[in-house]
Amino acid sequence: MAKFIVRRLLLMLLTMLLVSIAVFFITEAAPGNVARNVLGIHITPEQEASFLNQQGLDEPFYIRYFNWLVGTDWRARSKVGMPVRQITTEDGFREWWAVQSDGSLIRWGMEGEDLFAQKRQPDGTVKEELDNERWSVKDPAIELERLRAYRAELMANDRLAEADREAILTELDQVLNILAQEGQSGEALAAALAGPESALAAMVDPEALRKKDSFQKMATDVSRKNDLIRVFETYDRLSQPETQDLGETDLQSMARQLNNAAAVLDGASPALEEQLQEASSALESGDIASARATLEDATQTLDQEIGSLGTFIEALQGGQYRQAADDLEKLSDPAATPLDPTKLTVLAGVLEAVGEPLEDDAPAVGEPLLQAVEALEAGSDEEARGHVAEAASSLRETGRTIVRTEAAQGARVARVFWGVDAKNHAVQWEKGTGKVVWQLVPGSGWLAATGGPVEYIPLQKGLIRGDPGLSLRTGRPVADLLFTRLRNSLVLAGIAFVIVMPLALVLGLIAGLNQGKPLDRILSVGGMMFSVTPQFVTGIFLILIFAFWLDLVPGATVFGEKAPWERPEMLILPVATLTLIELGYVLRITRASMAEVMREPYIRTAFLKGLPQRRVVFKHAVRNALMAPITVIMLHVNWLLGGIVVVEVIFGYPGLGSYILDSALFKDFNAIEGGAMILVAVAVSTQLLADILYTFLNPRIRFG
Amino acid sequence: MAVSEKAMPKAASGPTRLQKLRQSMAVIFESKIAVIGLAVILFWIFVAVFAPLLTPYTPTEQDYTAQNQGPSAKHPLGTDSLGRDLWTRLIYGARVVLIMLPVSDSFWLPLGTAIWGVLLGLLVGSTLGLMGGYLGGWVDEVVMRLLDAMMAFPVVLLYMIIIAAVGASATNVVLAIAIVGTPGIARLVRSLTLDIRTRDYVRAAEVRGESPWYIMFVEILPNARGPIIVDAMLRVGYAIFAMGTLGFLGLGLPPPSPDWGSMVAKGRQYILSGSPWAALWPSVAIGSLVVGLNLFADGLSEESTRYQ
Repeated sequence: MAKFIVRRLLLMLLTMLLVSIAVFFITEAAPGNVARNVLGIHITPEQEASFLNQQGLDEPFYIRYFNWLVGTDWRARSKVGMPVRQITTEDGFREWWAVQSDGSLIRWGMEGEDLFAQKRQPDGTVKEELDNERWSVKDPAIELERLRAYRAELMANDRLAEADREAILTELDQVLNILAQEGQSGEALAAALAGPESALAAMVDPEALRKKDSFQKMATDVSRKNDLIRVFETYDRLSQPETQDLGETDLQSMARQLNNAAAVLDGASPALEEQLQEASSALESGDIASARATLEDATQTLDQEIGSLGTFIEALQGGQYRQAADDLEKLSDPAATPLDPTKLTVLAGVLEAVGEPLEDDAPAVGEPLLQAVEALEAGSDEEARGHVAEAASSLRETGRTIVRTEAAQGARVARVFWGVDAKNHAVQWEKGTGKVVWQLVPGSGWLAATGGPVEYIPLQKGLIRGDPGLSLRTGRPVADLLFTRLRNSLVLAGIAFVIVMPLALVLGLIAGLNQGKPLDRILSVGGMMFSVTPQFVTGIFLILIFAFWLDLVPGATVFGEKAPWERPEMLILPVATLTLIELGYVLRITRASMAEVMREPYIRTAFLKGLPQRRVVFKHAVRNALMAPITVIMLHVNWLLGGIVVVEVIFGYPGLGSYILDSALFKDFNAIEGGAMILVAVAVSTQLLADILYTFLNPRIRFG
Repeated sequence: MAVSEKAMPKAASGPTRLQKLRQSMAVIFESKIAVIGLAVILFWIFVAVFAPLLTPYTPTEQDYTAQNQGPSAKHPLGTDSLGRDLWTRLIYGARVVLIMLPVSDSFWLPLGTAIWGVLLGLLVGSTLGLMGGYLGGWVDEVVMRLLDAMMAFPVVLLYMIIIAAVGASATNVVLAIAIVGTPGIARLVRSLTLDIRTRDYVRAAEVRGESPWYIMFVEILPNARGPIIVDAMLRVGYAIFAMGTLGFLGLGLPPPSPDWGSMVAKGRQYILSGSPWAALWPSVAIGSLVVGLNLFADGLSEESTRYQ
């Protein structure tokens, strides 16, 4: 017996391994993009790359599988140069720390260009201090190559002012000379680089990145805020290849946007208005092709009407500040842009949208724009044009600083450091390359910074050490939620099981004893109907009858932390649905088994012996008749688990099934894998249980 | 359905066939249950075939002035949240299930999505089962372990992962139904093969020096067809069940196709706000069709065992 169980358990592990590989393969092949699923469809490619990097998703498939299986901490250890350890804090959070040689725990964070060490004290508090000594110069050979390529890039950079280019090139050539000398120790190299680097640092405007960011954000905001600019956006979206993926609601909302845009015009440009309405109704009826054609005409009309505004926003988005300033200047020139009512409407709207977000970060550009709006509203074109010209020249100046800062930052030699960050990654920080790194900062969204983490190893112990990793969707450990959800599902299944088993077995026995009679007919046909009807159909009927028409019980489940006990009445319909479906199935098997047993010779013998029927049935028949149902029911657990998924979805019940479904739709594969492993374990162990139960019911069977 | 369709061409070839058909028809009509089941199935096939003649609307036609309505003279079963006629969507939905498989926008195959799924599963499952049962040895071992691993996997999870991987479309639903159905069919065919391979005519073919593939597909498979056909009919019922469930979970045919499961999923949101119709009718449709198929298969197998 023991040998048999061990063999089955080994087989179970083998199955789990196979299943985990299969799930990994399939989720890998699945279309869809987990970064986009998690962060929304508006993320930029840089943010997406950064997210994938942070989660370790940019690694090849087999490495990710290996990491998931055996963990990453040992790999991180060799990078960081000290052991890493997972601790559980007093609040129950699991944190990873690096262990120093004296046994104390340390991890790091980067602020601006400074490295801070967080040292965990024995009492659990954390002391933070500056720790810049840990930076080391990146491999000179690699840096030399990068900076040589960068020099060529600098020469080709047409956004850079000539004087700025000269100044940066002088310093860069010095840096290149220093790097080209071979055989310097790290410290000597750092000392030699100090001179040119401080000269480069002087060319950097610390605010530049923020200004650039706000220009960028503003350009995007404008296209979102202004109804007319949205026309461009809609057109862009319709022209993209993934147009096919647009759902009905997308099309509806785009159609509404176009209608709004037409309303904004308010008779100012009848031709444009008509085109927009036409496109809107084409979209509503789902005719994308004709909507696209009409919109193309409309954007052309719009371009003519508002002159250089469209290109202004495009230039700003692309970082072409000189071009943007030129476009803005054109608006201030009465010869280039004669103003008519349409243009005034659009212009005031756009200027307002542009000016507002800039007020804080780049007041030199933002304030004159807002003044221009006021002037326009007061009807003074002349004054407005003056303000716009002022804004254009500030924009030119600010743009130059931004471009210079970017160029100067890229000319420095990179410093790197491998450590453990506060979000459970082993991280390589890098500074001085001018490369923009996106980081998701809780509370303030995505922030860009030059320098920062460039390579991540998400720290995890690996499944074989009992850690299924973090959920990509929630960022919390899969194991925490998985077991809560499993418990919820088991409660649901358990209650249903307790109700179904006695009921189905008794009804099945009754039907089997009365084989062929009307009672049997009703029971078995009725049972069949319930067992073959999809769970969601049964569920919908139950909701309609008991929650909608009779209004007896709640038709959905909403649970807080203490699910599922806080509102027991919410369990009624889910349990009833599961019960009905299982009832028919078990009933039919029991009936067939009972009917067969009743035909056996020993039952006939028992009757002929003169035993009363009650005795024959209970003493001789039932025990043998129950054997088949019990094994089949256990083998049926897989199917039951499938049914639970659907029932959980119908009633919004927070169980394992809906967890896996959501995870699968999200491509959150740590969670899918974790869920799949549990399901396989449950399924295989119930089969084992069935076999063991079988030996008790039928002592003739021995496992060896 | 498979039985009567198979029987039709046979009927033309001779009087004995005609008698046989009459006999099997008699078997069907002997069982009241089977007749009820057959009537339900025929009803759905009829409305599916003649769908365009039975309604003045198209399944994607929207009417914003009539949203979430109950039954009326204009809309016999009411309308959904976008003002689409429910009766129209229901009968066009029956087409996808029973009589056509939309492969792309302009191209479709006859026979329904559910039926193609079962046929594909039969093809792969029979081949695997025949190989395992007839060739035996390591082939059997590998095939069986593979199928065991697939069966250890909860079915809905398997569906979800397959559809999540290949994307939601009618062909992928067929694929998913086939993949999920394969292990069961393979096991059935294997056990039948293990029995049939010991028969004399298989021995004779072996002595004649026929190739294993000839023996598997020409000697064994046709002789195992009876149980396979009954099983396939139950599987069509289960495939419709699965299609509905996939649609309900948002993994079925992409909108705006009239898919029963997704109609229920969408209509469900409006039940508690007072418009149950959009969820009710497709539920009735799936329920009746699946129950009809099972009644028919049940009655048939009951009656045919009585005659044996």
